[in-house]
Amino acid sequence: MKKLMLFVFSIFLLSVIVFYVSRLAPGDPLISYFGDRVEKMSPEERQWAEEKLGLNDPIHVQYVRWLNNALHGDFGISYKYKMDAAEVIRSRLGNTLILGGTGFVLIFVFSLLLGILCAWREDGWMDRVICKLGTIISCIPEFWLALVLILVFALRLSWLPSSGAYSIGKNGDLWDRIVHLILPLSVVVISHLWYYAYMVRNRILEEVRADYVLLARSKGLNKRSVMFRHCLRNAIPSYLSIMAISVPHVLGGTYIVEMVFSYPGIGTLSYESARYKDYNLLMLLCILSGILVILCSMAAQLINERIDPRIRSGDVSADREVNKT
Amino acid sequence: MSGLLEIKNLSVSFFTPEGEVQAVRDVSLSLKEGEVLALVGESGCGKSVLCKSIMKLLPSAAKIKAGNIFADGADITNYRERDMCRLRGKLFSMVFQDPMTSLNPAMSIGAQIGEAVRSHERRISGAALEARVMELIALAGLDRPEAYRKLYPHHLSGGMRQRCVLAVALAGNPRILFADEPTTALDVTIQAQILELFREIQRKLRTATIFVTHDLGVVARAADRVAVMYAGRIVEIGTAEEIFYDPRHPYTQALMRSLPAFSRGRDTLYTIPGMPPALLDPPGGDAFAWRNVNALDVDYEEAPPMFRVTDSHYAATWLLDERAESIRKQISGQGGCGHLDLENSGCQSGKKEAGKNRDVQTADAGKPQEVLLEVQHLSHMYSLGKGRAVRAVEDVSFQIRRGEIFGLVGESGSGKSTVARCIMNIYRPRKGRILYKGIDTCDPRQFRANRKMLQTCRQLIFQDSASSLNQRMKVWDIIAEPMKLGHRKPPRGSFRAEAEFQMHYVGLDPCYLDKYPSELSGGQRQRVAIARALTMEPEFLAADEPIASLDVSIQAQIVNLFKHLQQEHGFTFLFIAHDLAMVEFLCDRVGVMYKGRLVESGTVEEVFSHPGHPYTQALLSAIPIPDPGRERARKPAELREEEFSLEGESVEISPGHFVLRKKG
Repeated sequence: MKKLMLFVFSIFLLSVIVFYVSRLAPGDPLISYFGDRVEKMSPEERQWAEEKLGLNDPIHVQYVRWLNNALHGDFGISYKYKMDAAEVIRSRLGNTLILGGTGFVLIFVFSLLLGILCAWREDGWMDRVICKLGTIISCIPEFWLALVLILVFALRLSWLPSSGAYSIGKNGDLWDRIVHLILPLSVVVISHLWYYAYMVRNRILEEVRADYVLLARSKGLNKRSVMFRHCLRNAIPSYLSIMAISVPHVLGGTYIVEMVFSYPGIGTLSYESARYKDYNLLMLLCILSGILVILCSMAAQLINERIDPRIRSGDVSADREVNKT
Repeated sequence: MSGLLEIKNLSVSFFTPEGEVQAVRDVSLSLKEGEVLALVGESGCGKSVLCKSIMKLLPSAAKIKAGNIFADGADITNYRERDMCRLRGKLFSMVFQDPMTSLNPAMSIGAQIGEAVRSHERRISGAALEARVMELIALAGLDRPEAYRKLYPHHLSGGMRQRCVLAVALAGNPRILFADEPTTALDVTIQAQILELFREIQRKLRTATIFVTHDLGVVARAADRVAVMYAGRIVEIGTAEEIFYDPRHPYTQALMRSLPAFSRGRDTLYTIPGMPPALLDPPGGDAFAWRNVNALDVDYEEAPPMFRVTDSHYAATWLLDERAESIRKQISGQGGCGHLDLENSGCQSGKKEAGKNRDVQTADAGKPQEVLLEVQHLSHMYSLGKGRAVRAVEDVSFQIRRGEIFGLVGESGSGKSTVARCIMNIYRPRKGRILYKGIDTCDPRQFRANRKMLQTCRQLIFQDSASSLNQRMKVWDIIAEPMKLGHRKPPRGSFRAEAEFQMHYVGLDPCYLDKYPSELSGGQRQRVAIARALTMEPEFLAADEPIASLDVSIQAQIVNLFKHLQQEHGFTFLFIAHDLAMVEFLCDRVGVMYKGRLVESGTVEEVFSHPGHPYTQALLSAIPIPDPGRERARKPAELREEEFSLEGESVEISPGHFVLRKKG
C-alpha cells in the first residue's frame, strides 16, 4: 500500500516537472501542428490557433486541465500526427519492444555466459582478453559504433539495410524485418554486454573467495558443482536485481540507436516530440518511461526479497536502534 | 610402520608480486590412525597453510616447492584437482574457524549435508540420503534433526553452526579431520561444548584429527601429541605431556610462560618481545633467536636440526646440543626455563591475595574509595520492528570506583556492549539512571549542563581497531582529532607534539605518526586507538572487548598497558571481555552478565573462588586449563540453561559480592 502511494506520487511529480520544463524551453509548439504555415499567420490567426490548442492559458491551468483529462484516459492529441497521442505511441511501441526486448534478452544471456566463462578461467588468457576487450568497447559511444557499422555493412558491403524497420511495401515480411533488425540490435547488445558480463564475473568471483566455498571443496565437491550449485546460485539474485534496474538503461540505449537508424520506434518519437514541442505526446512518453523505471526498480527489490532466504523468512534481526539520542 | 598421513620435508610458498612468501618450510610430521595432533603457534606461523596445502585448498599463488605428502600410503603430492576431489571428504575433511561464514547462507543445512553425502555416494536413494543426513545431524549433537534439516544457517547460533559444519565434514566418514581453530570464534561455554563434541566423535569414529589452535588450554583438552610451529617450521613436537611438562624449545617455553595462569600473582603478564617474522624473507638460523633473550650466537647463523629428547619428543634448538650443556644449566638457573608449574603459581597467587587485601585495608583505613560511576537499574531494549523488541539489558546495577578496573564478562549477546554504550551516552536507556560523579548523564538537562566535562572525561575504545580508525587519516591526525573537535588547545604547543607525546605514552615509536592505520599491525592499531582515547585526558575509559581480535602475545602487551595506565596514572576502566583468564589477571572487580541480567558481581578473588550463581560456575568450569593431566581428568560441567535462574534480586552473600537469587 505504501509502495503504491509512493509510486503514484512519483509519477505525479514527474508529470509536473516534465510539464513545466517542456514549456519553459524555447520553441513554438504551433510549428508541429501547422508546419510552415505558422510563418504566414497573422497575430489574430495565431491567437485563435493557440486558443484552439489551449496554449494561451497560464501553465498551471493547462496542467490541471491536462491532469483532469489524463485521469479520464484522454492524453490529448499529438500536434504533429493530429491523432490521439496514445494511438501514435501504440503504433510505434511494437517496434521498440522488439528491438529493446530482444536486445535485453541477448544481453542477459550473453553476459551470463561470458561472465561464467571468465570466472571459470579466472586470470587465464581468455579471461584477460575478454576483460580488456570489454573495457575498450565499453568506451565507444553507441552512435559512433552505429555509424561505423552502417558504413561497413550497409554502405561498403551492402549486406544489410542502413535504416528503417522494413523496406517499403514489405510490411508483413518477417525475413525483411529480421534483416533490418540485425544492425541496430548488434549495436545495442555490443555496447551494453561487457559491463554486465564483467559484473557477473566479479560477483561470481566474490562468491568463490567466500569461506563456504572452502568447506564445499573440502567435502569433496568438484569445481563444477561448487561453481554452479554454490557460487552461481548465490550470485544470481543480485545479478537479477541489477538487470531489472538496468532495463531503463538498455532502453535508453535503444532510443539512441533508433535515432541513428531512423528506426520507427519510441526513441525516434521521443526525440521528435521534444524537438517539435509536441507537448501531449512528450508527456505521455515521459510518464510511460517513468512508470517503467519505477516498476523495474520495484521488481529488483522484489527479486532480492524473494530469493534471499534471510530476507524471505522475515526474521531478520534488524538491530535498528529505536531510541538513539 | 608408516602412518595414516606422512609429510616429508614439505615446503610451501606463496608467489606474490612482492616476492616469495615461505609460509611452510621443511616440515615433516606423521599422523597415526585415530590420533589427535595439535598444531600450535602464533598467527602467521603457517599452521593453516600447512593443513590447507595437504588438502590442496590453497589459492593458485601457493605452490608446493619441495617435499612429499603421503596419505594412506599413496604419494598425493602431485595429485591433480580431479583426483583430490575424490579424496576430499572421504580421506580427509576440514572444519574452519568461523562458523558464521563457512556455511552457504542460501542453502538449508540439510541440503548442504546431503550434498556432501552425495558427492561420495552418487547413487544413494532419496530415503537413504535423508536417513544419513539425520544421522549426521544427530552425531553432531543437535537434537531433533528433522527440524534442523530445513533450517538455514542464519537461523542458528555460532555453536550450532559449528556443529553443522562438523556434520558436513563428517559426511564422507573421513579418516583424517583437519580442524582449523574450530573454537576460536566461539564463547567460552560453547567452546567447551564443541571441544567435548570433538572428543566424543573422536572416541566414536576413531577419526585422526589435526587440531590447529593458538590456545594452549584447548590443546591440553584435545590433543594426544603437540607440534609447535614457528615461522613456517615445526620447532618442537612431542606428546602433550612432554610439551606441557618438559618444553625444550625457547619458543615453546615462551608460549607457556605467556599464559595468564602462569603470570597469576605478578604485576605484568609475560610477553614474548616482538612479533613473528615476516615470511617474505625469513631470518636465517633459528627464526626465534631474534625474540629470544637467551639466544646463542650460533642461533643467528645456522638453523638447528631436530634433536631427539625421547623417542616421541623432538625439538629444534641448539640448547639440546651436547656442547650447550653448561649454557642450558645457566639458563635454567635463571629460572627462565618457563616450565609451567601451576601449583607453584597458585601459591604465589595466594601470597598476592594477601598483599591485595592489605592494600584494600589500608585504603579503607584512609578513606573509602570514591564511587566514580554508578549504574542504577539500567534497562534497554532494541526494536525489531512490528512492535517486537529484544530486551538487551534488564535491571543492571553496579558501581565503579575511582582507579579500579571493572571487568564485565558474559557470552556474546548478553548485553555487555549495550551497557557500555548506555554509559557513554551513545544509547539512551529505556529505564534506570547512570550517575557519573553524581551527575545523571541520562537526564538531558544535566547532560547538557556538563556536556564538556562528560565528553572529555569519558572515552571509549572499540574492539576492532581496523574499523574503528579511519583508514584515510594519518596516525597523528587520528590522535589529534578529538582535540580539534573539542576545541582544546594542545598543552604541548602543537597538535603534532601532543600526538607524539601520546604515542610515547602508549609505547609506540613516533616514527609511525605519518603512517596510515593499514600500515600498522593489529596491536599497534589498538595502541593508536588507546592513544586517541587518552588525548582528552580522560578519567574513565570504557574498553569494549579491546583484545578480542588480537593475537595472544599482543593481547598480553595490551593488557600490560592497561595495567600500567591504571597503576601509574590512575585511570579507571570498564573492561569488557569474554576471556576470563585475562579478566582474572587484570581486573579488580568483575560483573557477570547473562541474557541481559547482571547475575553476579564482586571482587575478582571472591567471584572466581566462590562463584555464587550457577551460570558463573558453569562459565568458570568451562575455562580450559593448560595442563593435560588435570584437564583430561576433569569433565566440564554441562551447561544446563534451565538452572540459570534470572529471577529474584541481588543478594549480598559476602561484603561487596552480589548474586542474583530468588528470595527466601
